[in-house]
Amino acid sequence: MSARRAGPPAPARRPVPVGAVDLSVRLGPLRLGNPVLTASGTFGYGDEYAHVVDVKALGAVVTKTVTLEPRSGNPPARLVETASGMLNSIGLENVGLERFRREKLPHLCALGATVVTSLGGETPAELERLLDVLGHERAIAGFELNFSCPNVAKGGARYWAAPRRLERTVARLRPLTKKALVAKLSPDVTSIGDLARACEQGGADAVTACNTFTGMAVDLVHLRSRLGRATGGLSGPAIKPLALARCHEAARAVRIPVIGSGGIMDARDALEFLAVGASAVQVGTATFLQPDAALRIVAGLRAELAGRGVARVCDWTGVLCGEPLGEGPPARRPSG
Amino acid sequence: MSITRPVWRQSRGRVVRHDDHGAGHRWLELEVKSPFAAPGPGQFVQLRLPPTASPVLLPRPMSVASVARSRGALRVGFLYAPVGAGTRALAGLGAGSEVEVLGPLGRGFPLGHRGTPVLLAGGRGVAPLLFAADVLARRRRAAVLLFGARGRTQLARLTDAHRRLAAIGGRLHVCTDDGSLGPRGNVVHLLERILPGLAGPLVLHACGPHAMLKAVALWSLARGVPAFLAMESMMACGTGVCRGCALPRSANARAAYVPATASSLHGSREWAMCCTEGPVFAAEDLDWERIE
Repeated sequence: MSARRAGPPAPARRPVPVGAVDLSVRLGPLRLGNPVLTASGTFGYGDEYAHVVDVKALGAVVTKTVTLEPRSGNPPARLVETASGMLNSIGLENVGLERFRREKLPHLCALGATVVTSLGGETPAELERLLDVLGHERAIAGFELNFSCPNVAKGGARYWAAPRRLERTVARLRPLTKKALVAKLSPDVTSIGDLARACEQGGADAVTACNTFTGMAVDLVHLRSRLGRATGGLSGPAIKPLALARCHEAARAVRIPVIGSGGIMDARDALEFLAVGASAVQVGTATFLQPDAALRIVAGLRAELAGRGVARVCDWTGVLCGEPLGEGPPARRPSG
Repeated sequence: MSITRPVWRQSRGRVVRHDDHGAGHRWLELEVKSPFAAPGPGQFVQLRLPPTASPVLLPRPMSVASVARSRGALRVGFLYAPVGAGTRALAGLGAGSEVEVLGPLGRGFPLGHRGTPVLLAGGRGVAPLLFAADVLARRRRAAVLLFGARGRTQLARLTDAHRRLAAIGGRLHVCTDDGSLGPRGNVVHLLERILPGLAGPLVLHACGPHAMLKAVALWSLARGVPAFLAMESMMACGTGVCRGCALPRSANARAAYVPATASSLHGSREWAMCCTEGPVFAAEDLDWERIE
């Protein structure tokens, strides 16, 4: 067996009582009871799962992406299961701003959830109009700007994969709300670190790394894509190592918090994202397997941290960032 | 379209019976822990195997073929064929194995609909229709079952179908594509053939491959006979959240779609969600030209 690489030794701390673990985290102006959020598009508008999941106990519910007008979404087939993952091509189907504000938001608010509203726009001006309307809604704790949908012709991941456009857009949106502004980034870029820095420069409170990876599957019988649109977004355990590397890169590039996302199925997966610098995580595909997956991860995190003698989750964030993990900018150790 | 709150629950099921049923079919019976509402004919559940027992990620939607209560627990039966990685893994589960069960999901056959019920089954699509025949019998309504398959060996549970239809005073007609049992042809040909002997008005309930359902739907639309068809679609969540199982609405259904009254669990003007609005759809609600 080879010698252990230099780095912080595994902390030989005394276990902490499970109930004493502090899971609270801060994302800019937003303080969350725990670091586990639902990933946009995998938890509806929160009310669909409310009869089986106590949404108050989640760090936050990130809603399905809301656009100015209702969207019908993409033609079927919209789903394909692949090895340890799934491709989706939903195409931002949603009820639109008006119905979201009138019907969905009051309901979600009544359930006591911390609501982060995901916003989608084909242009900076569309995002501006959405924030004009929602920016001061009391029921909303924060916004996640969906800069990374791989399944739309306009305003998708490719359009937003330009650092200057991102920086200018975030800077235009920043004055429209005092609530947390999070930018969700695509992994299909040359450097997610550059995009994360651009969002930080523009005034974002946090970035999410990352959305689904563009993927494809071929129907060899009919010789066509197995999805209605040629490509889709890959999620699930298949992308976890890839997403973890993007999360690590983003966390080393910025001083604002990073929310890790991509293939998190259990608490140990979440611990890995936190270890490489994420302050919080999003759970998506796992919810399709078990609607209460995110809550199980909250409980699991508490137990895992307690067993490791870590009293506060923020002390675990970035424990790997001190390690010489290869090329890249100097490591950052969060102050916690 | 009514807005209903979901009633499904997450539960665990224990395999209490799992047998070979010939011609590649298997019969699975699970004892499901409460709280779990009894599914009706046409409804489905999502079955998820322990990750160590299955190479697939997503749960599999399985149409319910029987429901019985025994000692306070619910026994739910399924007829399936191990044709993909998920169902092949399922086939390996022995008695006593545990699976995760989510349900009951979707909307089943509207068995209270007016008219003489004619049940049209293709292959293993017979299972939920035998369940429907039992429920109809309890309501003192005899059903006619038209059962078709590629050949006689694909007529799954044929003996059981004979026995159960006889017990409830129903009638069974059989056909095969290759003529190995009953007249050669599909269930629509069979329906045409026996139509003069049926007391109208009729209502059709069908389950089978999409090509068969399309033939039934087009036949019923041309004659103004109400028909309800159990559709399939690739699903992830099964609960209306992932929006993956979209089916095209007909022009009339698009025109009648009122966003203000539609539940967000349902689809959009363009697309219906198979999991929450279906899997059983009225023939006039879908655009059959765009269904494969």
